[in-house]
Amino acid sequence: MNHENWSKLARIMSKRSLWMIHFCTGCGAMEMPPVMTSRYDMERFGMHAMATPRQADVFLVTGYLAVKTLKRVVQVYEQMRDPKYVIGFGSCTINGGMYWDSYNTIKDLSKYIPVDVYIAGCMPRPEAIMDSFLKLFDMIDKGEAIGWQKYHKYYDQYKRNQRMAFSYRLDEVKDIKEDDKE
Amino acid sequence: MMAKELFPEAQEIRKGRIRIETQKDKVGEIIKKLKDNGYEHFVMLSCVDWIKEGKFELVYQMWSYQYKEHVMISIKINRDGESMLSMRHLFPQIETYEREIHEMFGVNFIGNPNLKEFILEGWPHMPPMRKDFDTEKFVKDFYYKIPEVKEE
Amino acid sequence: MTIQKEFELFIGPNHPGATGNMSYHIWVEGDKVKKAETRVGYLHRGFEKLMEKRIWMQNVPLVCRICVPEPDVNEAAYSMAVEDLMGWEIPERAKYIRTIILEMARIGAHLLTVGGIAASLGIYTAAQWGVGDRDYLLDVFEEITGARVYHIYIWPGGVRWDLPKNAKELITKVLDYLESRLPLYDDLIMNNKVFVRRAADVGVVPKDKAVEWGVTGPNLRAAGYEYDIRKLEPYAAYDKIDFEVPYYPKLGEYEVLSEGSDIYTRTAIRMLEIQQSIKIIRQALKDMPEGDVILKHPQWFAWKVPAGYAYTHVESSKGEFGYFVVSDGGKKPVRVHVRGPSYTHGINVLETIAPGLNIADFAPTAISLDVCPPDIER
Ligand code: SF4
Repeated sequence: MNHENWSKLARIMSKRSLWMIHFCTGCGAMEMPPVMTSRYDMERFGMHAMATPRQADVFLVTGYLAVKTLKRVVQVYEQMRDPKYVIGFGSCTINGGMYWDSYNTIKDLSKYIPVDVYIAGCMPRPEAIMDSFLKLFDMIDKGEAIGWQKYHKYYDQYKRNQRMAFSYRLDEVKDIKEDDKE
Repeated sequence: MMAKELFPEAQEIRKGRIRIETQKDKVGEIIKKLKDNGYEHFVMLSCVDWIKEGKFELVYQMWSYQYKEHVMISIKINRDGESMLSMRHLFPQIETYEREIHEMFGVNFIGNPNLKEFILEGWPHMPPMRKDFDTEKFVKDFYYKIPEVKEE
Repeated sequence: MTIQKEFELFIGPNHPGATGNMSYHIWVEGDKVKKAETRVGYLHRGFEKLMEKRIWMQNVPLVCRICVPEPDVNEAAYSMAVEDLMGWEIPERAKYIRTIILEMARIGAHLLTVGGIAASLGIYTAAQWGVGDRDYLLDVFEEITGARVYHIYIWPGGVRWDLPKNAKELITKVLDYLESRLPLYDDLIMNNKVFVRRAADVGVVPKDKAVEWGVTGPNLRAAGYEYDIRKLEPYAAYDKIDFEVPYYPKLGEYEVLSEGSDIYTRTAIRMLEIQQSIKIIRQALKDMPEGDVILKHPQWFAWKVPAGYAYTHVESSKGEFGYFVVSDGGKKPVRVHVRGPSYTHGINVLETIAPGLNIADFAPTAISLDVCPPDIER
């Protein structure tokens, strides 16, 4: 089998058993238990919550991220194996949502890690979450969910933004350039 | 004994809500006396920033299950650099409240060894809950200025 | 060669046993916890700062996000504080509706907690049931308020709109269903030998220290005090409703197995409170008078709240939720300070009772204290 067919097959297989990292980052996490348990039951999509990042494929960033959490999120994201997918959950991950003027939440998740699918809504309903899963399957099938490739490609830009956020300063950029030279 | 009988300067601002305005050095004594007289639940310690007066108001709040009464003991300290004695020996949870106020307002509590970082991590700017910290401006100058990832 | 005896262990933030997005740093020797430290701040949004920037009315959608499992207590406490400062008396019907909403929220939160405690001791079915049954309550909430989780239904001055016409049938149906489920929960959890063995006498909050440490709510009642803000300082319509406050050692149908507030007693108290809440809602639905549900005040968005200090508290499923509100007579609050029950439970109490626990009992202890991080850091 040639490479193209092979990766197509791999995609078809992998979309059927996506495991989700169990990391509740924001208040959107409250709608995850209903989705994970008996009533909405995401296991019928082959999805399952997984405690360790090394065995997870999907990262649901459930809502706003405080800078302190962003550090952990980046760590977890980097520990996950490729291919990995990120779903931005709720309006907080899109533009800050109702915390648009809060000093401690990052506003736009895609500046720090690549996001494949966004779910709009302030506390999206379980149906919306499941819809996003289906959409993600579709994207994986078509080979459009390539966030993880972007992360490799634009690694220094993502890292630069992350460091800015971690230090709460814009001028940290200079240091990073010096870093790169070494 | 109820707070009104113990402290004549106490005023009842609403039913079941007592307010005592006092000085910095009397707080420990008052809390102790209230604790021994049935006000055994320490509700919280909060800090209000009265920027126009240049003062921080520290409000120690206690509740009595017996008299169903809530007491607010209020003191004012200078905004710039005045510190306060720690009350952590009276109720253990005061330590956490002091730690938070130290972080969020920058008030120093003498005698509290545990004033390390609590909520924020590596925050380099002015304590954020102070009134002169403008969160909207900070957000516009910082989060919105972080560049987007450019794709070729 | 020296053998290292003490190890450090990080539980959370990415850990199913951590209660939400928070972490515990524990030092262990063998299987025993030597020292524990709670690390919070992962959910800090600076609510109190944001509230100073928004007008009084705009703060209602903010406050409900302080406690995710049970958002309505925040709306109620904040609204009560504003009403207190304004000197308003809300309509009678609104009080009853508030009672119904708050009790439904309490049942939902208790179901989550009981399920969580059981799941942390290995009974995963309970978590599935708890979440699943709570979802039927959320359906009713959706019918009444338009939203599943954040309802923004209780406002300063009453509630936003009247209950829909079929509310009574909807609520009664869910209550009947829940009542039929409770014996099953008893069989699954309370009468389960595994649960009883692992929960009794574990994670004890001593009775003589409980009040001093600032323990409130079901955890305090499990320690043997009959303290409930619904009785001590009745808000909403609780003064007109006849209900009991379960407390240790009056555990009703459950056996008294231990002394002090341990995991078992805390769970039992929560189960009993669910029964009481069902009773309260039934009674409130029956006694609810007709009439307005909200005060008619012009210019909702141009309020000036009279200067002053207010403190209001409500009994949430976790403990005392208090709002300290300061106004200087302006359009925006000067300061809103929230006292979350987890502030004491999660930090001082847990750090003090953790030494001596087994590692495996640490997570159940934290969950049974009902530590919920968003109300610690806001
Ligand atoms: S979008 Fe809404 S529900 Fe989601 S994290 Fe933000 S505030 Fe919470």
